[in-house]
Amino acid sequence: MFEIIDEHIQNISIISTLTKTDLIRTYRGAILSWAWAIIRPAFRIFIYYFMLAIGLKVSKDMFGYPYFLWLISGMVPWFYINDILNQGSESIRKYSYLVTKMKIPICIIPTFTSISRFIIHIILMAITICLFIFSGYSLDMYILQLPIYMLFMFLFFTILNQVLSLLSAVSKDFLNIIKSSVFAIFALSGVIWDISSIHNPILKFILELNPVTFLVNGYRNCFIKHVWFWEDSLSLIAFIVVFLISCILSVICYKKFKKIIPDVL
Amino acid sequence: MNSIAIKFEDVSKSYKLYKKNSSKIFSSIFFEKHIKEKNVLNHISFSISKGESVAIIGKNGMGKSTILKLVAGITYPSYGKITVNGNLSAILELNSGFENDFTGRENIFLKCKLLGLKTAQIKEIENKIIEFADIGEYIDQPIRTYSTGMKSRLGFSISIHTYPEILILDEVFSVGDYHFKQKCYEKIKEFLNDNKHTFLLVTHAPDIAKEFCERGILIENSQIKFDGNIQDCINLYLK
Repeated sequence: MFEIIDEHIQNISIISTLTKTDLIRTYRGAILSWAWAIIRPAFRIFIYYFMLAIGLKVSKDMFGYPYFLWLISGMVPWFYINDILNQGSESIRKYSYLVTKMKIPICIIPTFTSISRFIIHIILMAITICLFIFSGYSLDMYILQLPIYMLFMFLFFTILNQVLSLLSAVSKDFLNIIKSSVFAIFALSGVIWDISSIHNPILKFILELNPVTFLVNGYRNCFIKHVWFWEDSLSLIAFIVVFLISCILSVICYKKFKKIIPDVL
Repeated sequence: MNSIAIKFEDVSKSYKLYKKNSSKIFSSIFFEKHIKEKNVLNHISFSISKGESVAIIGKNGMGKSTILKLVAGITYPSYGKITVNGNLSAILELNSGFENDFTGRENIFLKCKLLGLKTAQIKEIENKIIEFADIGEYIDQPIRTYSTGMKSRLGFSISIHTYPEILILDEVFSVGDYHFKQKCYEKIKEFLNDNKHTFLLVTHAPDIAKEFCERGILIENSQIKFDGNIQDCINLYLK
């Protein structure tokens, strides 16, 4: 554990350079370059809105807010999670030259990809806040807990990304498992529907253990539901337990694979 | 000051040969058995002092590059201890490790940063690197438009201009035209002249080894067969 943290502190300038590189590399080469960071998610939100609100007509006001705003406040954190699961898990493979050609500690590769995605997330979040203000729904005290949820999400998925990317580097099968389960996670986490509408208490409880659900709900707590994060203590405890488990897993994986990965990549 | 630059103590390195891809993940997670191991290096010990220039000679697949990787700290030994004093720049493959969508100039910055240089230092050497690589206006074009030769010119130029205490070159003279090679030779000689830099070269070409190095290490069958004067080493290798 300390070794991982120590590597990060020592290589802070390398991390920042690589974060920039990762961002530039993602958006370089297209004419609209940086605008894609906004266009792509906007397009996807629109499609979901069209599908659900106009096609399936599930559109109704959620907790007194329009469905569109409700959707957006859950989709934006999902985009970050989606990027981590899809691209973050690939990061060590993608940057294999850093591992096999240069002496860069492996553990910083998932971190800087996560940071670069998170920067995009911050931009999207700012736009979301603007949207809420412009549509006439003023934000209140509850928005103050937004940074806490953002921090929760960032830390959890950065640590999880360590595990995912290390395992994906060793096994391509694992990478495929992650990629094919992304949609399942999306569908089961209540990003596009409200998990509290489930009546079966056992099923609801199981679904709420999902950290993605916790985070998406958390974002909505800030914008729409107006609940403090400690009020739903059971979900919070479940999240912390999952968080600690992934911390332990990341340490185990790092120890186990650190010396193997340069040989297998 | 410690006069030893690189020290190998009883180092072994073995790669696991997996029969199937599936056994790779299985064995690394659960337990390890029934896996064939290929011993690339077998209990090797040597030490190189500061300012020495050493050529490592041997046939393909005899573990020369593995030694370099171990020195560079890219892979870890299966057994034994390696000590390296001083910062190093390893060119394991000259034309790899570039960001394809970045321009040459941006890649210089990126690589230098990864080697641990500060922004001010990079600005200082940037022009020298560009001048030496001599690829004209291509320096502001994306790397993917470069030819192999141009990439290796840039790669070599970056490595030599970061003035590492230990310079490692792996088969780098197989690319580049005649004039550029001459330029590289001169640069390396200039680099070696002040006797402060340690130089490690892996090569098949005896003349190049003779030109730069006083000492040769011949690797054969995962062991050191000979360690000493370069001329004797080459004679033994050619025999």
